[in-house]
Amino acid sequence: MAPSEVSRGRTLLASVRLAVLQFLADPQWLVPSMIAPVVFGLVAYELFRGSGANFALYAVLGAGMMSMWGQTLYGSGWATGQDRELGTLEPTLSAPTPYLWVVMGRVVWNTVSGLIGGAIVYVVVVASYGRPLSVPNPVGFVLMFVFVIVTLAAVGIVFAAWYVYTRYAGFVQNVGEFAFYVGTGCMFPVILLPFWTNPVSLAFPPTLAVDALRYVSIPGYQGLSWGFWGDVAGALATTAVYLAVAGTVFHRVEKHVLETGNLSEW
Amino acid sequence: MAAVVASSGPLANRASFWRTLWVNAIFAPRTSLGFMRLDFVLGTVFIIPFTQMLFFAYVANLANNVANSVAYVAVGNAVATVTYSSIFSVCQTTDSEKNNGTMEHLLVSPTSRFALYFGRGLIPILVSLATVAVGLTYAVYVFGAPFAPGAAGPVAISVVLAAFSMVGFGLLLGGVALYLRTSIILGNIFLFLGLLVSGTNFPVANLPLPLQFLGYGLPLTYAVSAVRASLAGAPLSTLGLLWGELALAGLVSYAIAILLWKVFERRALATGSIARF
Repeated sequence: MAPSEVSRGRTLLASVRLAVLQFLADPQWLVPSMIAPVVFGLVAYELFRGSGANFALYAVLGAGMMSMWGQTLYGSGWATGQDRELGTLEPTLSAPTPYLWVVMGRVVWNTVSGLIGGAIVYVVVVASYGRPLSVPNPVGFVLMFVFVIVTLAAVGIVFAAWYVYTRYAGFVQNVGEFAFYVGTGCMFPVILLPFWTNPVSLAFPPTLAVDALRYVSIPGYQGLSWGFWGDVAGALATTAVYLAVAGTVFHRVEKHVLETGNLSEW
Repeated sequence: MAAVVASSGPLANRASFWRTLWVNAIFAPRTSLGFMRLDFVLGTVFIIPFTQMLFFAYVANLANNVANSVAYVAVGNAVATVTYSSIFSVCQTTDSEKNNGTMEHLLVSPTSRFALYFGRGLIPILVSLATVAVGLTYAVYVFGAPFAPGAAGPVAISVVLAAFSMVGFGLLLGGVALYLRTSIILGNIFLFLGLLVSGTNFPVANLPLPLQFLGYGLPLTYAVSAVRASLAGAPLSTLGLLWGELALAGLVSYAIAILLWKVFERRALATGSIARF
């Protein structure tokens, strides 16, 4: 293994470890990203009451998805902002390992903590439902769930990159929260949205990934017309584009810092 | 000499009260209140109500439940958006003071606490009014909520009372937050809890009894009821009762807020540590 790869792997692990330790020191940040999904899950469950067992799955999947979205939007989006606020952006960027690996470590942990939030949402909603929810294809469900996490992480990395160049990160996070939930069809099939919104929705890999997850989990689900494999292919393609964009932006950020020696003013 | 007597008498206190109220009203949005930047305020007033209502409207549409129609859900969420400025913004005032290291100075100040905290709530009250007004406009014109003839006056009264009461509740949470490390969790809990227990998306009666009790402890529940009844053109006798409940909930919130501040202030002065972040 080349020395640079070793260094990147170590950086990734160290970044994950630090993110975990920071989370354990102050775990309150799971609460904001968890309360809303639990509440939305219970509200949806109450609204869906009497509409059939499949609708309880909508509530659980939707709430779990929202929990992970919350962590992506707030946690991963803030992965770069925290460096800027603490004044550690330039020193971190001057380290020999590409900054992207540091951010990726934070994003990995944020996604995992979002998954914990999703599991808690599942327990709360299922406890309200009174009996466990069954999915016809548990293996496919788990695989697709992991796939959804990967697509969310890709979005998180792009947000982290984008937030380097904007003063409106907080605005996007807070004001855009419901817009993301609506646009990606967290709690309902995205085909219910007007046709003209589809290009925007489909630009986000989680939209396609969640649609695919519903195809696996909900019997008789009618989602996007191209079906399960079309969703998977689309999500893979958009995720690859997101990762490429993030890599390019972070490369540009590093170049910018080396040229100006400063990223705190933007 | 007479002037000296006047300036140290009750008149001087009154002048100090209004000055404190006004100074806090205009400075707090730029200093201690959270999310009071212009872009946030515009987003809170125009974007959040629409996207929140849209989200729950689609969920209600998918559920196809006659009792909790899209219009019903839209009105509830239009009122619930009041919590963004009234609770989330206001309760962070304590955090900001601690974070900026100004809490100690505030606690030793002889100024009227009511003027101080109510003054800080004035701009959020105005933002809350605008948020609910815009939200209800969306509810009626986009989501098809009913608007009875002659309902404009009662709706306006309900909205004003809702804004005052909810800011009182935000101040109450700010008082609790004085004892906590941060108010973010508290703000988030009550920001979203109202969507579940306050009759925003379905009647409070659908909830288990403990959650019903919790719901009736929040001013938002009375605010949602008052606005729904006003929009439906309920008689004044019904509205009077709902307005009375809403006003009472607001007054109780302000009273508890002041009480909490006094209790924690005493504790802060005794321990010398509570005011630290």
